[in-house]
Amino acid sequence: MEQSHKVHHKPSAGTKHAKKDAANGVDRSGGKGFNPKAFTNTSYRAADRAARRTAEKDQKRLHVPLVNRNPEERKVTAVKGQGMDEGKLPPPPIIVGLVGPPGVGKSTLLRSLVRRYTKHNLNSPQGPITVVSGKTRRITFIECGNDLNSMIDLGKVVDLVLLMIDGSFGFEMETFEFLNILQSHGFPKVIGLLTHLDLIKKASTLKDTKKRLKHRFWTEIYQGAKLFSLSGVMNGRYPDAEINLLSRFISVMKFRPLVFRNQHPYLLADRIQDMTSRERIRENPKIDRTITLYGYLRGPNLPPRNAKIHIPGAGDLEVSNVERLSDPCPLPTLESERRRKMGEKAKLIHAPMSDVGGVMYDKDAVYINVPGSFSKGGDAPQGEGEKMVMDLQDTNRTFADNIQNSEIRLFGHSSAPLEVSQKRTRRAAVPRSGGPMLGSADDNEFDEEDGSDEEGDLYDDDTEGQVDGLNEESDEEGDVRYADSDSENDDLELATGFQQDGKIVNIDDDEDFDDDEIDDIAESLNEEVAEDEDVPQWKKNLSDRAATSFAERMGRRRDLMTLVYGSELSPEEIAAGKTRPSSADAESSRMAQDDLFHVSREENRGDEGDQVKEIVNSEALKAKWDDEDMLDSIRDMFISGPIGEVDAEGNPYEEEGEGFEDIEDGSADGEQGDDGDGVPYVGVKPSAGDHESARAAAAAKKQAALKAKFDETYDDEDEDGEKMDFYDQQKSEMAKQRQLNEDEFAGIDIDARAQIEGYRSGMYVRLEISEVPYELIEHFNPAYPIIVGGLLAAEERFGYLTVRIKRHRWFTRTLKTNNPIIFSLGWRRFQSLPIYHLDDHSIRNRLLKYTPEHMHCYATFYGPVSTPNTGFCAFNSLGEESNGFRISATGVVLDIDRSTKIVKKLKLTGVPYKIFKNTAFIKDMFNSQLEVAKFEGANIKTVSGIRGQVKKAQNKPEGAFRATFEDKILMRDIVFLRAWYSIEPKKLYNPVCSLLLADKGDWKGMRLTGQIRRDEGIKTPLDINSAYKPIERTTRRFNTLKVPRKLEASLPYASKTKILKPQTKQTYLQSRAVVMTDEEKKAITLLQQIQTLKKDKVARRKDKQEERRKEHRKKVGVIDEKKNEKLKEEKRERFKKEGLKRKRDEASAEGKYGKKRRGKE
Amino acid sequence: MTTQAGPSRDILRFTTHRHLRQRILLSILSGKSIRVDGIRSDDVQVGLRDYEINLLRLAEKVTNGSTIEISVTGTSFLFHPGLLPGGNYTHTCHIGRSLGYYLELLIPLAPFCKKPFEINLYGVTGEEGRDMTVDMIRTVTLPHLHIFGVTDGLELQIKKRGSAPLGGGQAIFKCPVVRNLKTVQFLEKGKIRKIRGVAYSTRVSPQFANRMVESARSILNRYIPDIYLITDVYKGDDSGKSPGYGLTLLSQSTTSVLHCSETLSKPNEIQTPEEIALNSTRLLLDEISKGGCIDSKHQWLVSLFMALGKEDVSKIRMGPLTSHTIQFYRDMLEFFGTKYKLTENLTTKEVDVSCIGIGYSNVNKSMA
Repeated sequence: MEQSHKVHHKPSAGTKHAKKDAANGVDRSGGKGFNPKAFTNTSYRAADRAARRTAEKDQKRLHVPLVNRNPEERKVTAVKGQGMDEGKLPPPPIIVGLVGPPGVGKSTLLRSLVRRYTKHNLNSPQGPITVVSGKTRRITFIECGNDLNSMIDLGKVVDLVLLMIDGSFGFEMETFEFLNILQSHGFPKVIGLLTHLDLIKKASTLKDTKKRLKHRFWTEIYQGAKLFSLSGVMNGRYPDAEINLLSRFISVMKFRPLVFRNQHPYLLADRIQDMTSRERIRENPKIDRTITLYGYLRGPNLPPRNAKIHIPGAGDLEVSNVERLSDPCPLPTLESERRRKMGEKAKLIHAPMSDVGGVMYDKDAVYINVPGSFSKGGDAPQGEGEKMVMDLQDTNRTFADNIQNSEIRLFGHSSAPLEVSQKRTRRAAVPRSGGPMLGSADDNEFDEEDGSDEEGDLYDDDTEGQVDGLNEESDEEGDVRYADSDSENDDLELATGFQQDGKIVNIDDDEDFDDDEIDDIAESLNEEVAEDEDVPQWKKNLSDRAATSFAERMGRRRDLMTLVYGSELSPEEIAAGKTRPSSADAESSRMAQDDLFHVSREENRGDEGDQVKEIVNSEALKAKWDDEDMLDSIRDMFISGPIGEVDAEGNPYEEEGEGFEDIEDGSADGEQGDDGDGVPYVGVKPSAGDHESARAAAAAKKQAALKAKFDETYDDEDEDGEKMDFYDQQKSEMAKQRQLNEDEFAGIDIDARAQIEGYRSGMYVRLEISEVPYELIEHFNPAYPIIVGGLLAAEERFGYLTVRIKRHRWFTRTLKTNNPIIFSLGWRRFQSLPIYHLDDHSIRNRLLKYTPEHMHCYATFYGPVSTPNTGFCAFNSLGEESNGFRISATGVVLDIDRSTKIVKKLKLTGVPYKIFKNTAFIKDMFNSQLEVAKFEGANIKTVSGIRGQVKKAQNKPEGAFRATFEDKILMRDIVFLRAWYSIEPKKLYNPVCSLLLADKGDWKGMRLTGQIRRDEGIKTPLDINSAYKPIERTTRRFNTLKVPRKLEASLPYASKTKILKPQTKQTYLQSRAVVMTDEEKKAITLLQQIQTLKKDKVARRKDKQEERRKEHRKKVGVIDEKKNEKLKEEKRERFKKEGLKRKRDEASAEGKYGKKRRGKE
Repeated sequence: MTTQAGPSRDILRFTTHRHLRQRILLSILSGKSIRVDGIRSDDVQVGLRDYEINLLRLAEKVTNGSTIEISVTGTSFLFHPGLLPGGNYTHTCHIGRSLGYYLELLIPLAPFCKKPFEINLYGVTGEEGRDMTVDMIRTVTLPHLHIFGVTDGLELQIKKRGSAPLGGGQAIFKCPVVRNLKTVQFLEKGKIRKIRGVAYSTRVSPQFANRMVESARSILNRYIPDIYLITDVYKGDDSGKSPGYGLTLLSQSTTSVLHCSETLSKPNEIQTPEEIALNSTRLLLDEISKGGCIDSKHQWLVSLFMALGKEDVSKIRMGPLTSHTIQFYRDMLEFFGTKYKLTENLTTKEVDVSCIGIGYSNVNKSMA
């Protein structure tokens, strides 16, 4: 057959097209096509309608502007050298979660996607997998297990959900549960994926199924939500074309920042390591561990010091140390990406928990997957890890030897090993002028890491030489640690030499150059030089250079930050302008810090030390401000002061007609910007040439200022006012603030910057966390994600949370006050005891025993504080035991407090023992006079509704009191007093530590009393008074009313009892005799005969019918018997088949399980 | 069997009575407990002073769920902060310190309450040398809060004046609640366009106030014409229990930069009103000459509100940092882990202070 060629399309864009347009004189600036008349409206109605439609569309487009705390994505432009913004930190990879019931094809999809992006075939993808998806974007894929805990945790961090649905089965409960979890924690983007559609054979059924599922999906997400369908699996992957299409959708997906994630820094750990020393673990295997977690930071900045975090499933922890690492999966650089398509080299993958390139990390070992017979010379394509391991074999010597033979020792004779302490201060790298000074040996060891380091080190804005020096230094550090780590072989990274993460970027507290240290360096160098005669040229005048540079630096500035955040100087000394501690001061301050030698000082007595006003020496002040010159020197600070520059005498230069912009304004305008160089001169008359140029500059500036002022006054109202509506204004303000945020710390060294502003989103960091329960490591399973959620200052506290809650309408049971439920709120999952209540006439919060049906109510429980307006969902249990919908309630936080005001109704009852007209004495309501006194004046009520008041306690029966009523009450009335009893929720906070369990789904929380009884086989104790007894109501018999005869007689007739005796005589109708005529007799006889005949006829007919029926029943009975026999046969066949199948399934499942296990070991 | 990291109850430790207020303030705001040891352990009168205990009482009063444990000797105490419910309070301050001492603690707390805060304070309204007078708080401190969006309903009413040592004054402080503070960029100090002042006198000749105004004008008149100094003479019951007088001055620039100064009469010293006025005026000139957009006595307050803002960069130009501010920065690092970027201009000695807000939002404020 003839192959059809691709039809030629004329270019409709691009340079060629533009050239043609230019040649033809076509102007397409108005729209796409070139037909100016094409889309005009013919009638005014149509025009009106069109205008309204566009206006509506415009409004629909608008959303409340939200700040995005992640860095902006790069913009790739056609212009070379622009757009890639390499200096800037790229945003972290977007997290794409693959969610669905087991067996739906999540792993298959993951494999397909990874293959699509990186050309890697993963055997068993596990944990987060980060890939570079394009020049601007990276993606972290993570597979979500089917258990609720994983779904809750991942729902809080994923940016995009690939929700997989088994098309042949339909939606499963877990899918809906997951969607509801998403809904209450901020809805990320969701793409639906239908799989197993190849199981539906009939085309029309397939079509119907697709349509049905699509519409159900749309009602859950939104109308028109994306739903893909994936056809069958080929080679263990989905068809390439479909995956391509899906990946295209993923790569153009835009994300709206979610409020919660905008407030909390977080990290999805893609690697975990135990840093506890082996020896200590051996001594006590259950010792609290020190672990490190690795991952990309997201959200706002992570505090650099003692950041409080929560690891869902593990608890609240504190980060003891943060280190920024170079990006393990960087975006392609500009140099490498000149072409339109992304190069193969740039398609990186970072998946430490998976088996990328045959290397797989487990909790305490590295597995190397060697396909077939392993030979080093084999030129088969090597994976990243494999290559590294092979490179390891190239070394002939041990690391220790390497260290020995390398040039790392600073001075030839120094025998002391270089100790790299944690608190290593980063010093200025001494410029390399004469050959390599440091780490010549690591060239052959760390070739590739070096390369990748420098490539990945996008953010070092030092000069080239410094970058080199620093890199060398850190490599050196690595080497030294190798030497050290021989004995404690626990550090995985070092043991394997697998520096996937590149160098460790050192971060120290005292980042800036300390003056003393520079002195120290200089001194030590001096000594060295003195001892060593034949030193290289570059070493010779090091000390001089250091000294001069130090002097320069000191002359230039005193670094206020170092002083303020250092501990050498007291605040008073800094404020007084001192830069270095005098020796005596230093001594005393050092002593003061040391508790052992505590010197009693002035500041521990007296009243001074807690005041905002400075102590003023009024004499000195007077002397200073009595001086006329001094008084005049600040004239320029006033609006009426001299306009323009001032000379030595403080007189303004006024020769030119138009005055100058004032120097203060100049400085305020940021003209002088660069560090004291462009400082306005005060009191020194400038030279003529300078003056000339200054005047011109000032004139220009003034003109600009005037123009700005004019624009401000006149343009705002008519032009800008319309252009910038509220929405645009907000957006532009946000953009401006964002720019400011970026610019403010731009000049500072990246680590010093992190100390001020924290670790920014997009950085790859290593968090060191101490005092982690050992179970986290012991029972670590990469299938369960580890998420590090940052906590705000308030969120570590505990209090009573009042939430608005609604029972989920799919949850079958009502919720009862004080029954434990599990909340997923903020980062946390915890069990607590809520009390439900409702606002009662805006007077009080009244307790509810059960949640109302189809209605919101309030709930108050004890737990960690969460910002109001945070959404949550709640569960009765997280286990798999229940078939139904497991989300029991959803809601939002309203209020946080330390006390609650929930009340429940309390009715006190009493009975009267003496009744006067409106006064009654009531007993049995209170037990003592004191109690009565407390309720004096309280409203009481009888059952019949007579209202009254408590008056005063009585002496005699203890607790009795006098009360008045609005009417006379009866002795049998019950009097009750309605009171309100305040209730505090019980303080239970039980975090769901599912990650610490060996079997992650086996978490057991607090049980209900009923559950405990059921589990323990205890009978419910029965209070005899609580038992229901049949109510016996005796019919009341009333005595007949008897009126005395005497009275009867004197009554008037109207009032007399009129009791009539029953009639004894027969009435006329009863007593008359009936005599029939002959005619009548005949007629009646005839009628009787006819009736008899008819009866006989009917009876005979009935008999005959019965006979026929009998016959018929017999026939039917035979047929039924045959039928039943057939059915029975069929049933037997079916059960037989099913039994066989089940047996086979069980056998195969066992086999599978066994296989899996084997694979793991 | 499972060990879980529960709520961390770490306590920050400090020594000596110095900077006590800011530590209590930051403790309440950050929710971290503090323990202060060695309070005046070397003094003749060991331990907390009465006015400090009064302050702790006040802190306990305006919070819900705080606990304070003071040791027997009074040299150390433990403070677990509670939440801020807001509402109406009355407090009689100790006459050892003026109302400013107590207000300086309350003002930064008030915007973060659950309900609008209102407190009726009795005591000394002004005292020379240590704390800001109510006049200065009303005219200068509260406008500093306006910068951060705390505006509607923010006021300080001076009902009665009471000079040191016996006091007898009364002031009502009202503050609205906010959810978030605004992020501020304040670098233009502009030029001073007006000077205002309050000369007050209690239980002395009303002429004293006029004399103070006269002598202040003798210096200030040379700079700008827009000077308006009012005399505020309280009589009878409203003038408290002790004689006293003083002058509070403030200057406002074209960009609403406020500088202020004040001098008050001391209880047992004889000073002419002229001396006091001249001293106050010179202090104002000194303050102006230091430059910056924030008055030196308010550096700490403004810095605090910068850090409590959203996760954006605030930047404010200040004059040379005072020792109080520097200590405050050190304490901020302890409590919130906030480090300020300080860029000093070596010629003008002005300091550009910038920091990223910690995203502190008022969790106390309820939704419904």
